[in-house]
Amino acid sequence: MNALWRAGVAGRRTRERGLLAGAAALGVIGLSAVHTTLYPADPWRPVVIGGVALLGFLVVHGALCVSRSAADELMLPVAAGLSAIGLVMIYRLRPEYLIRQAAWVALGLAALVLILGAVRDLRGVRRYAYVCAAAGLALLAATVVFGVERNGARQWLLLGGVAVEPGELVKLLLVVFFAAVLTEQRAALTLPGRRRRRAELGRLGPMLLCCLGALLLLVFQRDLGLAMLYYGVFIAMLYVATGRMDYVAAGLVAFAAGAALCYHWFGHVRVRVDVWADPWAHASGAGYQILQGLYALATGGVLGTGLGAGHPMLMPASYTDMVFPAIGEELGAAGTFSVVALYLILVGRMFRAAVRAGGAFEALVAVGVATALGLQAFIILGGSTRLIPLTGIPAPFLTYGGSAAVANFAALAVLLGVSARASGRQRQMEALRGAADR
Amino acid sequence: MARRTANVGRLIAGLLVLLLAYLAGVQVVWGPHLAGSPQNPRLAIAAEETRWGRILDRRLTVLADSTVQGGRQVRRYADGPLYAHLLGYRSARYGLASLELRYDPELLGMPAAAPWEASLGLFGRTARGDDLVLTIDAAVQQAAAAALGGHRGAVVALDPRTGAVLALASRPAFDPAAVDARWPVLSRDPAAPLLDRATAGQYPPGSSFKPVVLAASLGAGRATQRTTLDCAASVSVDGLVITNFEHEAYGMMSVPRAFATSCNVAFVHLGLATVAGPIIRTARTLGLGQAPRFDLPAAPGYLPDPRSLGRRGLAELSFGQGSLLVTPLQMAVVAATIANGGVAMRPFVLRQVRAPDGRVLAAYAERGGRDALPAGIAAQVAADMVEAVRDGTGAAAQLPDVAVAGKTGTADNPHGAPDAWFIAFAPADHPTVALAVLLENAGVGGQVAAPAARQVLAAALRAQAARGGRP
Repeated sequence: MNALWRAGVAGRRTRERGLLAGAAALGVIGLSAVHTTLYPADPWRPVVIGGVALLGFLVVHGALCVSRSAADELMLPVAAGLSAIGLVMIYRLRPEYLIRQAAWVALGLAALVLILGAVRDLRGVRRYAYVCAAAGLALLAATVVFGVERNGARQWLLLGGVAVEPGELVKLLLVVFFAAVLTEQRAALTLPGRRRRRAELGRLGPMLLCCLGALLLLVFQRDLGLAMLYYGVFIAMLYVATGRMDYVAAGLVAFAAGAALCYHWFGHVRVRVDVWADPWAHASGAGYQILQGLYALATGGVLGTGLGAGHPMLMPASYTDMVFPAIGEELGAAGTFSVVALYLILVGRMFRAAVRAGGAFEALVAVGVATALGLQAFIILGGSTRLIPLTGIPAPFLTYGGSAAVANFAALAVLLGVSARASGRQRQMEALRGAADR
Repeated sequence: MARRTANVGRLIAGLLVLLLAYLAGVQVVWGPHLAGSPQNPRLAIAAEETRWGRILDRRLTVLADSTVQGGRQVRRYADGPLYAHLLGYRSARYGLASLELRYDPELLGMPAAAPWEASLGLFGRTARGDDLVLTIDAAVQQAAAAALGGHRGAVVALDPRTGAVLALASRPAFDPAAVDARWPVLSRDPAAPLLDRATAGQYPPGSSFKPVVLAASLGAGRATQRTTLDCAASVSVDGLVITNFEHEAYGMMSVPRAFATSCNVAFVHLGLATVAGPIIRTARTLGLGQAPRFDLPAAPGYLPDPRSLGRRGLAELSFGQGSLLVTPLQMAVVAATIANGGVAMRPFVLRQVRAPDGRVLAAYAERGGRDALPAGIAAQVAADMVEAVRDGTGAAAQLPDVAVAGKTGTADNPHGAPDAWFIAFAPADHPTVALAVLLENAGVGGQVAAPAARQVLAAALRAQAARGGRP
C-alpha cells in the first residue's frame, strides 16, 4: 500500500488539493461579488459561512489523504465547483437560505465521509438489495399518503419539522436493488435460445414490479421529472447488464406509450408539453415561467449582466427550478457552459470508474449512479431552458435542497469508492507486471 | 459490459453536448434578437431604472432630456413641437415613436447589438442611458420650421457631400410631451399632425421631377444642351391636351431655357423622345420608387411601370404628373445627388452615440457613395438648375453672394390647390447644402416654395460658415 501511494496516488491527491482550493476560491469570490453588489451594508457573516462550507471539501480531501485513497481526483473538485456556484446563486436569489444550504453541503460531506469509511467493499451492500427496494417503495408510498404538496407536486415528507424529499434518496436505493437483481440474473438473461425466454419474465419480475411501482407512486406525486429519471436509469442498467437491444427497444416503446397516456390522462402533463411546444401562446399564463427563462438566457448573452445586475427574480421559482437560466442571465453563456462542462467532467469520470470497476455489481451501481446524475442534470437544465418540457427536479450539487445534497454526496461517495478500488487493482496489476518484467 | 457502459456514458455526454449547442443558439446567436423583444420585461425595467439618454444636435444643443417628477421620469423636449416627427415621443400608453423608438436600446444604455458588447454590463450596470448626437443643426431646423410658416408641408435639408441630414421638419406638428393627454384629438385631426410628411408623405412631384427627365434625356443621348424644343401653349398626346402654366407660349427654345421657364409642352416633347424606360431607370437610380434606407421608416413613393405607361402616361410623367409619387426626403436626395456630381450619399441622422461621460461609443459617417448619374450629366443638370434660379421660375430663391441651383414644382393634385415644390442646392459650384421644400395646397412653387427654400439655404450656409465650413 505504501508503495502504491508513492507510485503516484499522492500526486493525484495533490492535484485534487489544488483544484479544491480553486473551487473554494471561486465560491468565495462569487459570494463576495454578490455581497458587495447587493448587500454592501450587511455583515459579511454569510460569505464566511459559505466559505467555511466549501472548506469542508478540503476536510474530505484530508480524509482521503489520511486513508491514502486512490480515488479519482476530479470528482470531488467538480462537485465542489458546482456546490460553490450553487451557494453563490442561492445567496444571490434567496440570501436567507444561504446558511441553510451551507449546512446542507456540510451535512452531505459528512454523509460522504461516513459512507467512504463504512463501505469498504460495495459488494457487502448486495445482501440488502431487497431491503433497499422495500425501503424505497415504502418511502415513496409514505410520501403519497403523508406527503405535503409544494409547487404542485406532492413530493415532500415532513420529518420533525424538516421537509424531506424522499425521491432523491430512493433513487440510490433503487440503483442498488436493480444492480443486485441484474448481477444475479445477468448470466441467465444473456443465454442464447428458447431456454432463456421462458425464464425471462420470472427472473426480471421483481425488478419490473419494483420499477413499475415506483413510477406509479411518482406519477401519483406528480413528480414526472423523477419518474423519467428512474425509468432512464432502469433502461440504462438493463442495457449495460444484458446488452439486449430488444429490451431497450421495448423500454422505449413503453416509455412512449406511457408518455402518451400521461399526456392524455393528466391535465398538468398536457400543460407542460403544450407550453414547451409554444410558450408564446401561453405568455401570461402557464408559459410565463419558461418564457422568462428564455429572456433571462438571451439577456445574459455571452458574458452575462454580472452577478446581482440582472433580473432573475422575474422567473418564478428562480432559486430552484430556474437556477440555471438565472446563471445564464448573470454569468452568460460563460456561466452556463461552465456548469455543463462541470457535469460533463463529473459524468465522464463516473463512467470511467464504472468501466474500470471490478465485478458486475460494483460496475452496475456505478453505471446507475452516473446515469442518474447525468440524466438528472440534463432533464432539469434542458427543461429550464426549453430544450425539453420542464419538469422540476434539482440539478445535482447546484440546486438548493437538503435531501438532494445528502443523496448526491452519498452517490459521490459510492463512485469515489468504486474509482479508488478500480485504481488500486490497476496499480497492483501494473506493479505485478513490472515485477515480472524485472 | 465495459463497452456498453462506455456507450451509455457517450449517450449522456451527447445529451449534455446537445444542451451546449442549444445554449449557444439561445444565448449567443438568437440572444440579442430575443433579448430585444418587447415581451422581455427587462426592457421596461431598464426604462424605469435608467435615466434615458439625451438627444443632442450636432452642436450638442440639447433637444431632449428627462427629469424626475414625483418619482417618475418625464421626457422633456426643449423646443416642443419643433422636432416632434424626428425625435418622436415616449408615451406610457402609446409607446415610442421615431428616433426614440429606433434607438431605444441605446437611450437605455443596453446596446447588446453584438454579443461581446454585453460584457460591458459585467462591470456594473449603467445608471444612465447613452446620448444620441444627431447630424441635425438646430439653427437650420428652426429656419426650416419658420419657412414652413402656417402651411402643411415638409422641409428636408442635407449635406450633399455626406448625406448628413441638417433639418427634417414637418407641419402641422404636435407637442411630443403631451401625446398622452392629446392623443384623441391628434389621432383624429384631419390635418394628420402625427404624420411625418418629410419621410412618409407621398406627393406628385410636378415640375420638380424635370431634373430627372433632363438627366435621363441627356444620359440616353436623346438631347443635348443645344437641342431646341417647341414650347407652344399646348400639345395633344393621343387626345390628352397638355398646357403650359397659365397657357404661356414661348415658341422654339433651347433645353436650358425650357428647363428654366419650366415649359411643360417642351418637356413632353423631350419625354416622348426619351421614352419611358430611361426616365424610370434614372428615377430609380436616384432613389425614387423605393423606401430609402434611413434611421426612420420612410415611404417608397411610386414609380409607374414603363411598359404599361402608354404615350399619355409618358407625357404626364415628363413633367412629374400622373401616377408618380415621391416623398420630400427622396427629392432632397435627388437634389443632393445632382449637387454631389451624381454620387448619391445615403441620408442619415444619427452621428454619434456617446456615453454619459461624453466618451464616443459609436460614430457614424457617410457610408461611401453610389454612382447614380455620370458626373458630366449631373454637371449639366446642375448648370440648368443654376439658370432656373438666376433667370427662371426659381428666381425667388436667389441669395445675394451665393449662386443657388434649384427647380420649382407646382404639382396638381385632386385635393384642391396645387402642392408647391422646390428642390435646390448651394453654393452651386461647391454645394454644401441640398434641400427639398414641399408645401401642401400652397400654390405655385416659384412663388411660395422657392422663398421658403431661400431662408433655409441661407440659414444652413450661415451655420456652416460658423462651423468653419466643415461638413
